[in-house]
Formats: sequence, structure tokens, C-alpha cells
Amino acid sequence: MLQSKITRRGLLGATAAGTGLAAFAGPWKHNRVWAAASDKPIKIGITSDASGQYANSGASDRRGMMMAIDEVNERGGVLGRKVESIHIDTETVPATGSRVAERMITREECGFLVGAVHSGVANAISQVAQKYGVIYLNTNSSSPTEAGQNCHRTKFVWDGNGTNFAKAAVKNAIGSYGKKWMLLTNDYVWGHDTAKATKALLAQYGGEVMEEILIPQGTRDFSSALLRVQQQKPGVVSAAIGGDDQKAFRQQVAQLGMGASPAWINSQQDWPDVYGLPIDNLFGVFGTTWYYKLDLPGVADFVKKYQEKYPDTQMRVPGNVFYNGYMATRELLNAIERAGSANNIAVIKALEGHKMSAADRMQHHDAWIDASTHQVQQTIYLATANSKYSEQDKDDMFEIVANTAPDAVLDTAAAEACKLESYEETPAFDA
Amino acid sequence: MLDLLPHILNGLTLGLLFALIALGFTLIVGVMEVINLAHGSLFALGAYFALSLLGGMWFGDTAFGAWWLRLSIETRYVAALFVGPALAAIAGMALELCLRPTYGKAPLYGLLLTFGAALVIEEIIRLGWGTGEQNLMVPASINGPVLVAGFIYSKYKFFAAGFSIVAIFAVWLFLEKTPYGAIIKAGAHDSEMVRALGYDLSKLRLMVFGFGAALAGLAGIIMVPIWGLRPHVGIDVVIPAFLIIVIGGIGSFWGALVAAIMVGLAVGITGAYAGAWATMSMYILLIIVVGFRSRGLFGRKSALEN
Repeated sequence: MLQSKITRRGLLGATAAGTGLAAFAGPWKHNRVWAAASDKPIKIGITSDASGQYANSGASDRRGMMMAIDEVNERGGVLGRKVESIHIDTETVPATGSRVAERMITREECGFLVGAVHSGVANAISQVAQKYGVIYLNTNSSSPTEAGQNCHRTKFVWDGNGTNFAKAAVKNAIGSYGKKWMLLTNDYVWGHDTAKATKALLAQYGGEVMEEILIPQGTRDFSSALLRVQQQKPGVVSAAIGGDDQKAFRQQVAQLGMGASPAWINSQQDWPDVYGLPIDNLFGVFGTTWYYKLDLPGVADFVKKYQEKYPDTQMRVPGNVFYNGYMATRELLNAIERAGSANNIAVIKALEGHKMSAADRMQHHDAWIDASTHQVQQTIYLATANSKYSEQDKDDMFEIVANTAPDAVLDTAAAEACKLESYEETPAFDA
Repeated sequence: MLDLLPHILNGLTLGLLFALIALGFTLIVGVMEVINLAHGSLFALGAYFALSLLGGMWFGDTAFGAWWLRLSIETRYVAALFVGPALAAIAGMALELCLRPTYGKAPLYGLLLTFGAALVIEEIIRLGWGTGEQNLMVPASINGPVLVAGFIYSKYKFFAAGFSIVAIFAVWLFLEKTPYGAIIKAGAHDSEMVRALGYDLSKLRLMVFGFGAALAGLAGIIMVPIWGLRPHVGIDVVIPAFLIIVIGGIGSFWGALVAAIMVGLAVGITGAYAGAWATMSMYILLIIVVGFRSRGLFGRKSALEN
């Protein structure tokens, strides 16, 4: 018969050994500093979609990040350390985003996470990132809640949000096309938040919402909604429909010849969502943060660099999604350099309030990272289909009609809703 | 009520399009009892083949290529309506050859294999045609808006619905009025007896799978001018197709048609008055029908129910 003998001395010894080990390793998330070495590469986890509704945008986002990383490595890395990256598909699904973030931090030991197009995915990733204190750059999702109620100390939001775009467009559109509006809203966080911002502005400027039609994600037939628009006869239709849904939507509006009337306001038009579509699908006015033919110094060189790096890419010119992915990653690596360390708190401080000149960002106005919300405040462009479009230059699809300085389109509601965690509440570590 | 009429018309049109999508799927499930998860990929493949043919991409700078592009878009479109499905059929037959080791085994093997095939086909499309959005041209005569009772409808959608009716009727004629159709139906009912009568069952299965794949490819060519063309467009197809055959009763031709029209009406009317529920309405319909009649509207009674 087996007998287990637990002596008092043995028990005390085991307890002491366990306590010692715990003091050394501790809760892993707070003590990763022991694993960091100065020659260890800086590892970035790329959390972009490679499948699902935003697969195409995710690929563009990723190309932007890779170009920034390669540029830095060609210059010898950051603080003498090579920058490495790993990509896992977030599938345009929030639950996958959480899982991927958890794996990248705990198993792949990524010090930074970059990338998102879908706001639900971005929010899911950022919750995991905050738990571990890992800096996360939301490159391309533009729900106002991302830098509002869902803001985090470790999250930085690089795209203009729905409120920024609505502010740039709503007041002028009421004056030009009338007060009666209909809203077509993608039934998820970005759509709802953008519609909410539009409704608030309509209330402020005397507009009226006749009806809001919610469009489930994955909708491929918009005829019911478009018939309803015909029945209601609004002056303006504000559409917050994204990704593949938007491509099908645009195609169907064009087929019905409804692009000219009523007036269409489309919150933001991501370049990968329209690239390759016939020009008559580009109806209405829409927002963007960058265009490859902006008449500004550096833009042509940037486009050339893209074409040299990605000669086989079907998208022959970069768009706003690529631009955001590139700029976010470049600024993160610059911030590590400025901080003189890859300590997450030091890098967060280097990013907060950081000013970026218009020339450096190839935009019309200076930009800055809002210290209270972590959103990049930047130039907002309004565009429409290029009236001089020709078959010889199929890429030149947009005509920029206005640019608005960031302080004119500030999202004050997001700033009120955002409560960043304190530095002390954020786990610290050296990446 | 007058407000509702355009939405009923729209729902019927949608239903006919859904029926076209489900046609090939129901044929393969009904005859071979294989749930073909690659149906959506074959749908996409048919559309991509048509895209290449319409744009003359396969012929390059050859004299034939130049001659081909001089043909009217109508001629090239009609050619694409035949060649696209024929090529999808070849892909489908190749898939059936891969499926053979799974016959007689648990259905999970067939499911897994077709799921894997769907992923492979999607990647082949990405490699062959690129990842971006493409535009399948249609002749101007069937494109653009048309005014019906004061409402603007899409001329193309009416064409697509009319085409669906013709395709459905042609498939029905084939199954009901030709000896080949009789063999296919007999194969579905009692495959061993068909084999005993001297028919080559392997060849029969190959032909049915090819036929189903051709119908998937044809649906792709008809649908992508409405939905847009991208490598993963097929994902949007499998779920409605599956719902329709379950509601209609697995293996029932008329069941699939009635179910597709019911789904079209549900989605069309809900989309106008309670947009957020448009997609959900398909599932609610499924729950109601299956809740009251587990074998679907026109499904055959199982031996267990006797």
C-alpha cells in the first residue's frame, strides 16, 4: 500500500520555494521585463483581416505597415534593434480579434499590436491589449466610440471618425440639398455610431431624419431599402455602409440611375472598397483622409515607393487605408526612438500629444495625437467622383472638393465619453 | 397596401434569384446526398470564367483575341453564359472524382472535403484573377433603370429573374421529360437498382455533379452584376442555398422553388419595413417551417415516420 508522507518540514520548504518562484515570475503580464534584452528584435503583431467583409482593406492596411517596418529596418532598426512582425488573420470577426490578440501577446511575445478596419474587431483587440499593457494602434476603424467610450490608455486611433466626416459634410449638405434626410446604416458599431453623430448634427443644424433603415452586415441586395428611399423622397440620403456591403450597394444604386438624385452623403469611402468599380458607382459626396493625387510635396514620391515595393499588386496606387497603416506604424517606431526605450509607458507618453507637421504627413493641415482621447486629429477631405475621369488614367477616381482643418471637425462628444485608464492601472513592461 | 406592392414585386424577383442559386445545390444534395460546401466557390468560378471570356483575357494579343474583342458585347455575353458554366462543370466533375473515396462513409467526410475544396478554389481565384473587386460587363440593353408604376427598378434584375424562370423550367424539363432525367431520379431513389439495371453509377454521379456545378456557375454569372465580383463572393451563396433546400424539403425540386420565393418575399418585405431583421427573417422562416414540419414543405416522409 502506498502511503504519502507529508512532513511539516517538507511542506514549509515547498511553500518557501513556491513563494520565491512567484516573486520572481509573478503574474506574467507585469513582469515580462526579465525576458527583454537590448538586442532582442522589436516584435509587432499585425492584427489585420485577411478574410471576411474587410479582407481587401486588411491587405492594404498590412502593406502600409510592412512598408514602414521595412524602411526602418533598412535604416538599421529602432534603437539598434531589428523590427520583426507576425500576422494572424482576424477574419473581420471580433471574437477572432480577441483570440488573435491574446495569442500574439502571450505566445508570440509581441510588444505592440497594429491594425484593424472593423470597429468591433478593433474594440475586442484593444480590450486584450489594455489587459496586458500592450500598445495597440487602431489604424483604420473609424467608429467614434473607438476614441470615445471604448478608448484605452494603450490604444491609439489613426483614422478620422464618423463624427469628423459628418461634421465636414452635414451643415453644407443641409444648405444645398434640404432638411429632409434618410439614413442607411450598417447594423454594427461603426454604422450606429456614425448615424448617431449624423443625427446629432442634423438636430443641431435644423435637419430632420425621415427614416433610418438598418442594413444587416452581409447584405447583398439593397432593392428593398432603395425602393423605400423612392417612397420617402428625401432630399439627402446619408449612408454609413462599409466593406463588401458597400460595393454591392454602390453597384445597385448605379444600376437604378439613382446616383444623381437624391443627394448622397457617404461617411467615409475607403479606397479598397471602390478601387476597380466603374466610375458611375462613385456617386455622392464622401470623406477620406488622404488621396494619392493630392497636390502636395512628397505625395508623388510616396506613390512611387509604393509601386516599386508592390509592383504586382492589383491596386496600382496607395489609398487612405494603406496610408493610415503606414503612418501609424512609422509614428509608433519614431515614438520608440524618441522615448529612447521600448518601455510601453514611455512610448505611450511619447505618442500622447505628439504633433506631426502637414508636410510630414502629406496633408493640408498639421495633425496631432489628442492626449485625452488618443485619436489622431487630422485633415478631413470631402471628395466626389472625378468629373475629368478618363479610361487612360483609371486610377484617378476622386476629385477632392474640400479640405477641413482638424480643429473644425473635432469630435467633442468622444472626448467627453473617453476615460483613459491611469498609467498606474496599465501594466508596465519593456517590449 | 399600395405601399406594399412594390416590395411584394421586389420580393418575388428576389425569390427567383434565390431559386437560381439553390438549383444546383438542391440537385446535388437530392441526388447524391452530398452537401456541397464548395457550391459558392463554383458559383464564383463560373463568374470569373465569364469575366475572362468577356474581356478576352485568355486570348492575349493574338489575331483571334483582336477578332473576339471586335464582337459585340451581346455576342460575347451569350458565349460566356455557355462557356462559364461548362468550365465550372469541369471543375465540379474534378471535385466529384476527389469525393469518391468518401461515398458510403459518414457524411462528415464529404462535408470536410467540399469545405476544403471551397478554400482551395477561392485561393486559386485569388492567384488567377487577383484579390480586388472586378466588374462583369453586361449588355447595355439589359442594364440600367426601368420605370414600373412610378418606381425605378433595375432592368438587369428583371432580366435575371426572367432568366431564372427559363433556367428552372429547362432543368425541370430535363429531369422530367428526358431519359437522362429519369436515370438521375432513379439513381437518387435506389442507386443499387440502377446499377443492377446496367447503368454506370459512377458516370451518373459524375454527370450530376457536373450539372450541379454548371448551374452554380450559371447562377454566378447572373448574380455578380448585382452583388459585385470578388474572390470570396461565394460565401454569400451557401447559407441562403442551404436554408432554401431545408425549408423546401431536401431533394424536392418544387420545394426549393417555393421556399426560394418565400425567402425572397420575407427578405424583400422585411428589408423595407424592419431592415435590421431582413437577414434574420430567413432564419425565422426556417424555424417556423421546420418547427411545424421537420422534413420541410415538400420533403419525403422518412421511414421512421411510418
